Amino acid sequence: MNDFGKIDLHMHTTISDGTDTPEEILARVKEAGIDLFSVTDHDAVKSSRIIPALLRRGDPAFLSGVEFSCKDEEGKYHILGYGYDPDAAAIRSAVAHGHQLRMKKVTARLDFLASEFGFRFPREELERLLAQDNPGKPHIGNLMVKYGYASTKKEAIDRYINQIHFRSEYIRPEEAIQGILGAGGIPVLAHPSYGSGDQLIMGDEMGRRIRRLMEYGLRGLEGFYSGFTGKLCREILSFARRYDLYVTAGSDYHGENKLVALGDTGLDSAAEPPEELRKFLSEAAKRAAYPAGG
Amino acid sequence: MTVNLKGRIDSNNAAQVEKDILTELQGSSGQPVILDAADLQYISSAGLRVILRLKKAHPELRIINVNSEVYEILDMTGFTEMMPVEKAYRVVSVEGCEEIGRGANGTIYRIDQDNVVKVYNNADALAGIQHEREVAKLALVLGIPTAISYDVVKVGDSYGSVFELLNARSFSKILANEPEKMDWCVQEYVKMLKTIHGTLVPAGKLPDMKETVLGWARFMQGYLPEAAGRKLLALVEAVPHDDHMIHGDYHTKNLELQNDEVLLIDMDTLAVGHPIFELASMFNSFVGYSELDHSVIRKFQGFDFETGSSFWHKSLAAYLGTNNQRKIKEVENKARIIGYTRLIRRSIRRKGLESETGRAEIALWTEELLALLAQTDTLLFHANELELEAVTENLQEVQTFVEDHLEASGCSMKAQMQIGVAVEEIFVNIANYAYHPDKGNATVRVEVSGDPVCVTITFVDHGVPYDPLAKDDPDVTLSADDREIGGLGIFMTKRIMDDVAYEYKDGQNILTLKKNL
Repeated sequence: MNDFGKIDLHMHTTISDGTDTPEEILARVKEAGIDLFSVTDHDAVKSSRIIPALLRRGDPAFLSGVEFSCKDEEGKYHILGYGYDPDAAAIRSAVAHGHQLRMKKVTARLDFLASEFGFRFPREELERLLAQDNPGKPHIGNLMVKYGYASTKKEAIDRYINQIHFRSEYIRPEEAIQGILGAGGIPVLAHPSYGSGDQLIMGDEMGRRIRRLMEYGLRGLEGFYSGFTGKLCREILSFARRYDLYVTAGSDYHGENKLVALGDTGLDSAAEPPEELRKFLSEAAKRAAYPAGG
Repeated sequence: MTVNLKGRIDSNNAAQVEKDILTELQGSSGQPVILDAADLQYISSAGLRVILRLKKAHPELRIINVNSEVYEILDMTGFTEMMPVEKAYRVVSVEGCEEIGRGANGTIYRIDQDNVVKVYNNADALAGIQHEREVAKLALVLGIPTAISYDVVKVGDSYGSVFELLNARSFSKILANEPEKMDWCVQEYVKMLKTIHGTLVPAGKLPDMKETVLGWARFMQGYLPEAAGRKLLALVEAVPHDDHMIHGDYHTKNLELQNDEVLLIDMDTLAVGHPIFELASMFNSFVGYSELDHSVIRKFQGFDFETGSSFWHKSLAAYLGTNNQRKIKEVENKARIIGYTRLIRRSIRRKGLESETGRAEIALWTEELLALLAQTDTLLFHANELELEAVTENLQEVQTFVEDHLEASGCSMKAQMQIGVAVEEIFVNIANYAYHPDKGNATVRVEVSGDPVCVTITFVDHGVPYDPLAKDDPDVTLSADDREIGGLGIFMTKRIMDDVAYEYKDGQNILTLKKNL
């Protein structure tokens, strides 16, 4: 047994596309016997403000987290940020920029649904939608079902929302990395082998990607991930060793949306953790929030 | 419980596919889950994660009928090391294809100019194919030139593995069509054989041939007179474990000349063990199988019995590094003991004692085997060792034997002649005095070793204890008439050699001569 217990540094709440509220996820983290956790909502730092205040005696330690969706000429990336100050201007402006781009996309979708199909929603519904932290296709879909334009969310998305394709705009990786660093945090590349989710990046291509992001200030790689095979994990650990980067471990739990179990990171808690993960955890220990009274 | 995967699985439909699979699997608890990918064209990483999650819920999960694109993705990402993944096999017909090789487990056909397929005899051959791939890779890593299969195909009801074999011809074909190349074939065949036998195999990587041969010897217990059966078993048991490689089916159809390179093929019989086991199988291939019916070898190798016998004897001579017929016969007889054991067992199992041909060949081989067992005390041999009667008539044979080995080691003519003088002196001494007035045997051993190169020649006899070095050196200033008889030879031997040592041990006189080259 390693000395830091069970960890899961990658999960989502209703603040982005998860199905558990911050309160619910804390309860589940405790249930799963996790000792250190981080909530990494997409382009949002709200959980990092809410959760420390929820911690009670005996609760696990919490590390502030975020997952930025980024894009540049070379591709798409998910950049995790850990242990930052959620009130720092640097990260707030990165989140605000990400949110603004997302709003632009939601507005464009709503405009398209109105002009193409004549789907319209009451003003207060739209205001409520746009006031959400992270509105996207599922939220619009729910609204369409509510107003009778589609019978299921799936139908709404497949038949209507997905009819429009436009170039998605995301913040650039250097902006996310600088935002995290500027707030005292540690930027980490999420599920490196899978790119922004559905690519397969390995070997030299991975090496080039890591070196470029390191120029912007990247400090770590998510080497243990619920979706990795042993071989993919070994490749990421080898890159981390070669470039002297931290290693993190996360499940990418989304609640009921995906079938990933909380705490499933592929990190065998009985095995000796690699040096690069130990180093990260000793940094994390300094930045984590602990329940009052221990 | 089999679930079919269809079309493409990527981020657009992965969640739905996962839901559908889980619905299908409801109520299948406990049954092993098989994903049939026959209709799966593409899988992205979102799809891979679906499989990974299924694997976590169903540890017995396996995937079958995977096309080569999907297989490549599964292999690259490490799924093939996590769960059984079976490829969808291309179907190949060997109808009308030239048969270029035939081994214990399969037949090799040329399917086009650059490719051959080895079709396995048994229908459930996938494990065998996997085994052969692994041992061929091992052999290649250890320095044996061989072809490694790059694809597995379906051939009729069985499976085949496909190799690239460009412009290649088997040694059998060369011997059949160009008899003038016999000596060249022998030379290359023996060179490869020595490479194989000189290759140390990491423990546990290959089966131990001794275990297999012990199985044959045990089988024979019921078919041989009791004493002969016990002796056979004891002889095999006394062969020490050896971690050097043996091919196990080393005949001329399994050696291919590709451009200018000699390649070993048909690797599924690779094992470790003493070289006598290999020689036994070689004897069978070229002589044993066809001993009763000489036409058998033509069907199998494409050349006649005389060519086979000649090739076997020349190869054995080259392998032992001597043309000494006594030595060659001695080793051949040891090989025949194991060879006949195998042939008899095979005939009993395949043809049975009831069939006429079975009875005839079993009778022939059993008679030979019993005669050999009566005259053999060990299956071990040393190529560089000759045992013969210590009589002066045998001096020439001893000298030729020593010269063969010295020549093979690149020893200079001058050193060869000097050593020849010493060998003559010692052997004649043994012949004249060791057993006088009776007769007895002497053993001569030649070893060439080290850097700088050093030759060691050892003479062993069981005669009266006699230390030739105990005598003082003769006074060479005296006239010939005044000198003691015989002392001069030993004096010259000491002068010629760099070191001469005598030892009496276990009733043997052991005299060791060393010369640095």
